[in-house]
Amino acid sequence: MAFLEVKDLEITYTVGNGQLRAVDGVSFSLEKGESLGVVGESGCGKTTIAKGLMQLLPKNGRISGGSVKLNGRELVGLSKEAVRRHRLKEIAMVSQSAMNSLNPVYTIGRQLVEGIMAHTSIGKHAAYQRAVEVFQMVGLEEKRLKNYPHQLSGGMKQRAVIALALTLDPSLIIADEPTTALDVVVQDRILHRIIKIQKEINSSMIFITHDISVVSEICENILVMYGGKVMETASTSSFFRRPYHPYSLGLQNAFPVITEITEELISIPGSPPNLLSPPEGCRFYERCPFAEELCRKEPPPLYEAEPGHYAACHFLKKADEFRTRASKRETWEAVQTRMIRREAEEGY
Amino acid sequence: MENTKPLITIHKLKKYYPVRKGFREMFSTKKEYVKAVDEIDMKIYPGEILGLAGESGSGKTTTGEIIVRLQEKTGGEIDFDGHPLDADSREHRKRFRREIQMIFQDPYETLNPRFTIFEAVAEPLKIHGIRNPETIYQRVIEALETAELKPPEQFLYSYPHELSGGQRQRVAIARGIVLKPKFLVADEPVSMLDVSIRADILNLLKQLRADMGLTMLYVSHDLSTIKYICDRIAVMYLGKIVELGPVNDVLSEPHHPYTKVLFSSVPIADPDHKKERIVIDDEVPDQIHLPEGCRFTPRCPYRTEACDRCTHKLFEYVPGRWSACIYREEELKFNPDYLEEA
Repeated sequence: MAFLEVKDLEITYTVGNGQLRAVDGVSFSLEKGESLGVVGESGCGKTTIAKGLMQLLPKNGRISGGSVKLNGRELVGLSKEAVRRHRLKEIAMVSQSAMNSLNPVYTIGRQLVEGIMAHTSIGKHAAYQRAVEVFQMVGLEEKRLKNYPHQLSGGMKQRAVIALALTLDPSLIIADEPTTALDVVVQDRILHRIIKIQKEINSSMIFITHDISVVSEICENILVMYGGKVMETASTSSFFRRPYHPYSLGLQNAFPVITEITEELISIPGSPPNLLSPPEGCRFYERCPFAEELCRKEPPPLYEAEPGHYAACHFLKKADEFRTRASKRETWEAVQTRMIRREAEEGY
Repeated sequence: MENTKPLITIHKLKKYYPVRKGFREMFSTKKEYVKAVDEIDMKIYPGEILGLAGESGSGKTTTGEIIVRLQEKTGGEIDFDGHPLDADSREHRKRFRREIQMIFQDPYETLNPRFTIFEAVAEPLKIHGIRNPETIYQRVIEALETAELKPPEQFLYSYPHELSGGQRQRVAIARGIVLKPKFLVADEPVSMLDVSIRADILNLLKQLRADMGLTMLYVSHDLSTIKYICDRIAVMYLGKIVELGPVNDVLSEPHHPYTKVLFSSVPIADPDHKKERIVIDDEVPDQIHLPEGCRFTPRCPYRTEACDRCTHKLFEYVPGRWSACIYREEELKFNPDYLEEA
């Protein structure tokens, strides 16, 4: 059994009178020491998964189904208090707005020491020693422990938060867009630091981002989400060499590559589905240039395209043809025309 | 391109912010400044898109804001179309305001939530003295159409909150082009947008250049989008331009060490791509007490003692390519300590 097993996870938000299923039947597993990159557009449910695993969902959100097993132990259904004890020690999170997650009125050192003492039985002095150690790991000087958050630059704050997350050698690190607000040079350094430490303490990592190139650089596996569902999951190398899902193909078109001269970027027309009334069939149906009648009615399960490479598409056999057609502008323009026509039909 | 007359000529442009002091220093006479933009020279030619790259704090946004006169410069000159930009007559100022427009980063904050799309796009027209309601209506429709909000009539009476991020950015663009400007400053116009929408906005900006002959300054920290949309690139570091040249040349063979480092930090979506990772200190030096000589020296993997005497003067070592590094490419000696340990 894998170290982390997420099975058919469902997370629902209550919005007004409706139920919004932000994560809908997501399954994946993660071995010890492995890293998984979760990518998707805003609203695809990637951050909700992180919050669900940490049991940090807002009041209107709840895990409405499925199971999460960490090291064989079920996390779904545990009381908040029980999960809180797991946090930091076993699961640690580096969040998107990490820069704002430090308390401005305490020194960084005090916040680290407090965290360590709350979860272990070691004394203040030993806790301080540990804080110094993790600070060295992330490349911050010891004297910075005496600083208040406002005295640090954005990059330093982010590193301090990473240090905070690593204090107790967590076996699972969840990093939610940890470098989005940072400059490229700083981002590069922090990403590689996270990876290095993750390998050193042999923990598993879930890395959430909207940037597939970041995943390509640092993660072994990738999971592409769209509208609350998994579209494709594979090892990073397999995914970038031979993507199967039309959505993944569209994503790759939309990214400018710095090492080549990109003639033309092609975007995916339309916008993600409204999850308050999700489409019956494939979530990507509306924006997919290859959609057929079957896709409208029948949601595709994850099929195994190659060993270890899964994609949720009815027409995996046509993947070669899709790849050729997806690189052409006309293919996606046709979707645009189709959408306008459909809108007109519905409007009148 | 060098033969044509530049649309904008920037000469020794400076923006210094005085540092607010604490009580104790209040009585000292020494004045300290943050040199956000420090004597930069730049020419922007008609019809080109110039990319301005750099980290936060490099002064790229400040430069853009000075050109649209959202900020006043401390020193130096900017010539627009042959006239100094700070000409004091009211008439001149209004003309510049009409011909130079700006698009901002965050489409969620640039639009007034109480204005309908029509009001938002019509506002600049009204300010610039167009009163005829029919003309206004026509031009708003035209601008929305150019920004590819189709059909435009459908958007006229919506409010910003009813639109997606991409649509909002299009409204912001429509507002920027409704006065038919000559020059557009786009400050990180896609960094807040989702990947699948980014490409659309970038293509739209390219289209505007082709259709309206717009000249643009594209300010961004994202080298990949700069490479896609721009003709030339200027790389800024701590208030100075360190490298300037055609975008494909600069990014395939960066000359200045800072550009090299910046380029090597960009993540690449290709797991087979092996790149040399240069690792430098990720802290930018104190912006008030800048290092002597070249400002990149403290982090530079190629530095020598001579770098302290660098004056950041750009020299043209290949026609059209400028760099502020005192060394020629072949003279640079890389310090292997800066390579990542495998």
